[in-house]
Amino acid sequence: MNASVQAQANGAAGKSVINAKGLSKTFGGGAVVALNDANFEIRPGSFVSLVGPSGCGKSTLLRLIAGLIDRTNGELAVHGRDVTGPRTDVGMMFQKATLLEWRTAVENVLLPTEMAGTVTKADRKNAADLLRMVGLKDFLFAFPSQLSGGMQQRVALARLLQTGADVLLLDEPFGALDEFTRERLNVELMRIVGEVKATTLFVTHNIAEAIFLADQVFVMTPRPGQIASIVDVPFERPRPLSIQTSPEFNTLVAQVRDILGEDH
Amino acid sequence: MSDFTSTTDTRFDSRLFRIVPHLILFALILVIWEAAVRLGFITSIIIPRPTAIMGAIAELYFVKGTIYHHFFITLTEAVVGFLIGASVAVSLAVCSALSDPFKRYVSPYAIVLNVTPGIALTPIIIAWFGYGMGSKIALAAVLCFFPIFVNTLTGLLQRDEDREELFRSVGASNAQIFRKLRVPAALPLLFAGMKIGLTTALIGAVVAEFSQATEGVGVLMSRFSFQLDMASSLATLLSMTLIGLILFYSMEFLDDRIVFWRRETRRAAASRAKARAWNARMGQ
Repeated sequence: MNASVQAQANGAAGKSVINAKGLSKTFGGGAVVALNDANFEIRPGSFVSLVGPSGCGKSTLLRLIAGLIDRTNGELAVHGRDVTGPRTDVGMMFQKATLLEWRTAVENVLLPTEMAGTVTKADRKNAADLLRMVGLKDFLFAFPSQLSGGMQQRVALARLLQTGADVLLLDEPFGALDEFTRERLNVELMRIVGEVKATTLFVTHNIAEAIFLADQVFVMTPRPGQIASIVDVPFERPRPLSIQTSPEFNTLVAQVRDILGEDH
Repeated sequence: MSDFTSTTDTRFDSRLFRIVPHLILFALILVIWEAAVRLGFITSIIIPRPTAIMGAIAELYFVKGTIYHHFFITLTEAVVGFLIGASVAVSLAVCSALSDPFKRYVSPYAIVLNVTPGIALTPIIIAWFGYGMGSKIALAAVLCFFPIFVNTLTGLLQRDEDREELFRSVGASNAQIFRKLRVPAALPLLFAGMKIGLTTALIGAVVAEFSQATEGVGVLMSRFSFQLDMASSLATLLSMTLIGLILFYSMEFLDDRIVFWRRETRRAAASRAKARAWNARMGQ
């Protein structure tokens, strides 16, 4: 299994942004294997979805790349540099918007800049532009409690882009939103990551969403958490929502469902 | 436009409408009270007539004006005592939140101080600080310490894992997490503690005045009671209520401005202010 995964990954042309070899993470002194022997390379500017049931290690993999947790074994590098902790070239977005309720939308977006040093006029302009990009140009000075759940996630997305990171890690960012809002935000996300030319890793447990967004889908299975297979998605990005009704799309859905097996 | 006006009117009407029963009830109580004393059911030496209390208030505030000196003495004692007690309480709470060993060593003393009736310290504090304002300030400071300490510490110890993970993911240091996340998140509880503390500081000041003092509303009230001038005594009591209200609403005002994000109306105002500041800065 792992040999074929490696082969698929190596088949990718050009330099890679993220490299992992034998990457593993165990908790409780080895009692729980959260991620076992992950091997992959991710091309610059590509969109990768991580899909699988809970316990498959998809969030663990994301947190490893973000430098929020330390790996137990193996190698992991971003832009050719070993991952040892949180870095400015890697940004992360969570299922909860985690906005600070005492800050306006634009002040929330500026948080990463503030943590890194002084906020300049150019930073402020950039933050305002990003809020415009995510469709919140009239809500720069709104407080989080004045925004809907979808709008709060848009602010969180703008905050992620404000970091200037070109590797974006999204952990079920729209998972808590209703179906319609989620679909609309997915389409916008596809446009935005295309515009900023970022490499994106997107965690979800929704197979159709995973395929719709990505160039490559890492299909992950639990006990122990591992990458069971990497499925290439041949459609050009950005794509229309209607692609989801095409036969090719549904074949891919069936293929992923097959890999995930009975329990999905 | 007309819609807006009409909603405002309706809201005003309903507020007025809600207040009316309260006013009627209050007037009724006063009338029954007045009648009960006048008809001899209650001796006016024990409970004076409402009109007699009003007369005493007029005398204290307008005819002789004796209340003002004492009023400001007590107000000053309570406020200065509060400022001292609150500074110590907040400093210790911050240190306890930052250092676990510090918290372990300080907590037992704070708890012992809390379970000891603070008012019982009055004779000792007067022995230490004398008959003047010093002892009143000291007791006020001691009594307001605990509620502020506990509330501030509880607020600072609230941890939100998701937010801290976000801060760490953007490379924030522990100091930054403390200043930009834990302190603002603790402010609502800190102000809740301050409001309780301000009230207990006033209790401290007045109790110390009752015990040994030459000036302050507590002294004035004891004096009137010894003279069996109950109307003036109760009028002085109402002046303490007034001090309490002034202190409480001053803190409420600060709470509203500083922890603005909890109330819709304040958020809207803050939002406009932020927009103005932003435009001024970006326009340059």
